[in-house]
Amino acid sequence: MAEAGVKTEIRSAVWKPGGLKSLLSFSILFLAWLVGFSSRLFAVIRFESIIHEFDPWFNYRATHYMVNNGFYNFLNWFDDRAWYPLGRIVGGTVYPGLMVTSGSIYWILDLLNIPIHIREVCVFLAPLFSGMTALAVYFFTTEIWSAGAGLFAACFIAIVPGYISRSVAGSYDNEGIAIFALMFTYFLWIKSVKTGSLFWAICTALSYFYMVSAWGGYVFIINLIPLHVFVLLIMGRYSRRIYVAYNAFFIVGLILSMQVPFVGFNPISTSEHMASAGVFALLNAYGALKYIQSFLTKAEFKYFFIIAALGAAGFIFVAVVGLTWAGYIHPWSGRFYSLWDTGYAKIHIPIIASVSEHQPTTWVSFFFDLHILVCAFPAGVWYCVKEVNDERVFVILYAIFASYFAGVMVRLMLTLTPIVCVLAAVAFSKTFEIYLKDDSLKANNKDSEEDEPENKNDNKLYDKVGKPKKDKKEEKPKNQEAIGMNIKSIVVIALLLMLMLFAVHCTWVTSSAYSSPSIVLASYNHDGSRTILDDFREAYYWLRQNTHDKARVMSWWDYGYQIAGMGNRTTLVDNNTWNNSHIALESDYFTPQGEFRVDSAGSSTLLNCLMYKLSYYRFGELQLDFRSPPGFDRTRGVEIGNKNFELTHLEEAYTTEHWLVRIYKVKDLENRNTIIKPTIPVKRTKLRSSPSKKSAKKRPGVIKNKPKIIKGKKPTKTTSKK
Amino acid sequence: MASPAGCNVLALIFVCVCFCLTDAVQKKKDDILGERVQQLIEWNNKKSVIRLNGEKFRHYVREVPRNYSVIVMLTALQPQRSCSVCKQAHEEYTVLANSWRYSQGFSNKLFFAMVDYDEGADVFGSLKLSTAPVFMHFPPKGKPKKADTMDIHRVGFQAEQIARWVGERTDIQIRIFRPPNYSGTLALALLFSLVGGLLYLKRNNLEFLYNRNFWGIGALAVIFAMTSGQMWNHIRGPPVMHKNPNTGQINYIHGSSQGQFVVETYIIMLLNAAIVGGFVLMSEAHVLKGDPGKKRVIALIGLACVAIFFSLLLSIFRSKYHGYPYSFLIK
Repeated sequence: MAEAGVKTEIRSAVWKPGGLKSLLSFSILFLAWLVGFSSRLFAVIRFESIIHEFDPWFNYRATHYMVNNGFYNFLNWFDDRAWYPLGRIVGGTVYPGLMVTSGSIYWILDLLNIPIHIREVCVFLAPLFSGMTALAVYFFTTEIWSAGAGLFAACFIAIVPGYISRSVAGSYDNEGIAIFALMFTYFLWIKSVKTGSLFWAICTALSYFYMVSAWGGYVFIINLIPLHVFVLLIMGRYSRRIYVAYNAFFIVGLILSMQVPFVGFNPISTSEHMASAGVFALLNAYGALKYIQSFLTKAEFKYFFIIAALGAAGFIFVAVVGLTWAGYIHPWSGRFYSLWDTGYAKIHIPIIASVSEHQPTTWVSFFFDLHILVCAFPAGVWYCVKEVNDERVFVILYAIFASYFAGVMVRLMLTLTPIVCVLAAVAFSKTFEIYLKDDSLKANNKDSEEDEPENKNDNKLYDKVGKPKKDKKEEKPKNQEAIGMNIKSIVVIALLLMLMLFAVHCTWVTSSAYSSPSIVLASYNHDGSRTILDDFREAYYWLRQNTHDKARVMSWWDYGYQIAGMGNRTTLVDNNTWNNSHIALESDYFTPQGEFRVDSAGSSTLLNCLMYKLSYYRFGELQLDFRSPPGFDRTRGVEIGNKNFELTHLEEAYTTEHWLVRIYKVKDLENRNTIIKPTIPVKRTKLRSSPSKKSAKKRPGVIKNKPKIIKGKKPTKTTSKK
Repeated sequence: MASPAGCNVLALIFVCVCFCLTDAVQKKKDDILGERVQQLIEWNNKKSVIRLNGEKFRHYVREVPRNYSVIVMLTALQPQRSCSVCKQAHEEYTVLANSWRYSQGFSNKLFFAMVDYDEGADVFGSLKLSTAPVFMHFPPKGKPKKADTMDIHRVGFQAEQIARWVGERTDIQIRIFRPPNYSGTLALALLFSLVGGLLYLKRNNLEFLYNRNFWGIGALAVIFAMTSGQMWNHIRGPPVMHKNPNTGQINYIHGSSQGQFVVETYIIMLLNAAIVGGFVLMSEAHVLKGDPGKKRVIALIGLACVAIFFSLLLSIFRSKYHGYPYSFLIK
């Protein structure tokens, strides 16, 4: 009996609307976090816990330095292994948010006596933050629509490939934490617009500060929020709330953002930030007018208004033109400008236009990264327009501008993804609210409409086909009023199938496209067995062990950071686009048809160039198996075109197991010029001017088709050339 | 083949041999030179950029004697080469050539020419070029040096940059005069006047500015345009559709995930719009006043829109993204 009593007590506690709701929300958010975290671990499970790609290697090295030497030493760090021969002042040329974040996690764990290597923190930082992003998106969506939509949005953002592409375990890059900061800042902004409280506005500014310290994309925030305020003004939705929220955010945010060394005085000098200052002035002018209006007659006010408006406009115009002319304000920076004038980058900065992530976006990439969400989210925009209020204006503006930017640059898909999740969640949640609602039981409506879509949600995440059926069983016995239960269940089941397909798609994309560390390669044999090609690390390790500490390495620019990070050697060029000529001078070798070919139909420039020769030196003597001719390149599936050549100024130092990386040593110049007919007459001068040792690499496997590594050993005297 | 006059002099006065010979050769050279310059000027009058094929290139640009500099753009403009950079470079180059032709300092010391890969592949071969576009300067005397090839990777190919480079190589300064591009301004003005006119005509009835359908459709139009890749079309300029020259079959869908045709993007835009329409119908069905039968039909139509058009979209995606394993309703 007593047991029964307890049971009913628990029952009533659970069925209390608030209690059940928070339990469900909590468990769904927790599951979303978990699923988001685990689906990012493909690379770690397949290979090992390792930093991916190229830029993350620099971030990792910087973090490592910071953890070992302290924050202030890190800010003053002069890195002589980068940008040879100039060196790099790291503190002033990097967004420190990422390093500080992982550094403090490491510090806290250390404080708790949990020993962990900083590398593990770096590798798992992005998946961890994807969970935080899911939370931020949940809060954001809850503010602008409903809690049900918020749960949908959290689940979407946890697994959507558009975001996973930048946040798999091991991709230790700014974007991983920046999307969390972005969405959290927007959430706080919406909150402060809704409440008009100073507290939320200051929180917004603090969160904005974190974003500024983490990613250059903060420019998106500092333009979108002023735009929101501006549009609200135009729509006649001015209110005290907005006045307080924006002024507090702008002033505090401005001062805080200038504390980041890399940003410095940009917020008051570059045009990218001018919009926010302009809106600040406008908002205050508007507020002042409202105030003055209260004690002037209509005629007086009209007169005053015209004078004030003309005066202010003239003053601002003169000030901006004057400051630009005097050089205090800079014109739009190239990368930003290229967003607006799509022809700009092509002509002015070919190197920026040529980077693959700055390319415009095809519909296929939209669909690949967002799947059903990209079809559904305009419906969410539609609902927001139909039921507009202050904060939904923000969402609409965000959707329009982010989709424009994503169309211009593939890379900016990342900023579009969160809002797509939010709006698609709105669309789905609204539909489910209608079609899951039990027509007969009016009383319990509220609960069931809230929690049933949520159930759907985590079913979908597990993509277990069995589960959704449960819901449909519940609905069947209900009688039919307006639309009828039969049709309602059909609709629900069909939508659930599509959502399941979305979950499956996300997993497939994550596993097949976004989980390659690109430093360890895997190739599959005919029988499905897997070979791991670990040549890069083999080569870097060789460099670290066998070369002089002062040695200089010449390599294809992608590999600069990795050599610095793993090989601990200085490179001539690395991944930073800071100095265009560094990269642009490493020219490209294509046939007139624009393809890159290494067989005998390749261009003669290529077949005789240094890179080709270094890549395939003595490769012609190697026969891999009996069916293929000697010198058969398996990756490209061709026999190489030029097999017999000798190297004049280089000697082979090391070649890795699969011939992916080759390291060459530059010979000292001969005392007297030998009078042999040089096999590579044109290239001779070039060789002499290059530092010392080189390694080139062939068959880059998955990585596009340009890699090569060259390393220079520098015995003190060879220094002469550069 | 010395000229007759030259022969006579040679025969008669032994002492003058040397002098006369050179004189004759000089004269012949002058003839050829004059002829060439004449020809080039004639071409130049027709078109500011002289189009050369392999043979003409050798004759007018490589052979001595010359007393003029030639700037040659080696390029590949044929659509099948799909060199979009070449097109832009050609436009910039034409701007430069026109600026030179109509400038006050115009002389026959400098000519602008171009060689298309499909008309003079041998030129590319003889110059050992494998990329396009390339800008080369051929000085009046001697062979082009390294600096006579413009480094477009570093400086780009804006007309101003080319002009500066030409100035360095030939000491002829050209001031770029760009024909102002009115089309953008005109379109903008037209749009504004149209909108203004509309507003003026409807000044008594500005209700539509508060019409949410109006703004909603506007917002959706922008989003559909972007998510269907119109910006890609705008930047890359792909063909409208592809006709297979062998079979005559017309392809509306590009075969790979890297590209797209204009028609294809419109199809995608329609599919996206239909799916969104389906979603809206499904929610409208609920709000609609009227008999349940109508509601049911509308709800089902909405669902059909979403399901069918989404699976169609998925199958198009599948056909483009080779190796994609999933499909829904339609294979």
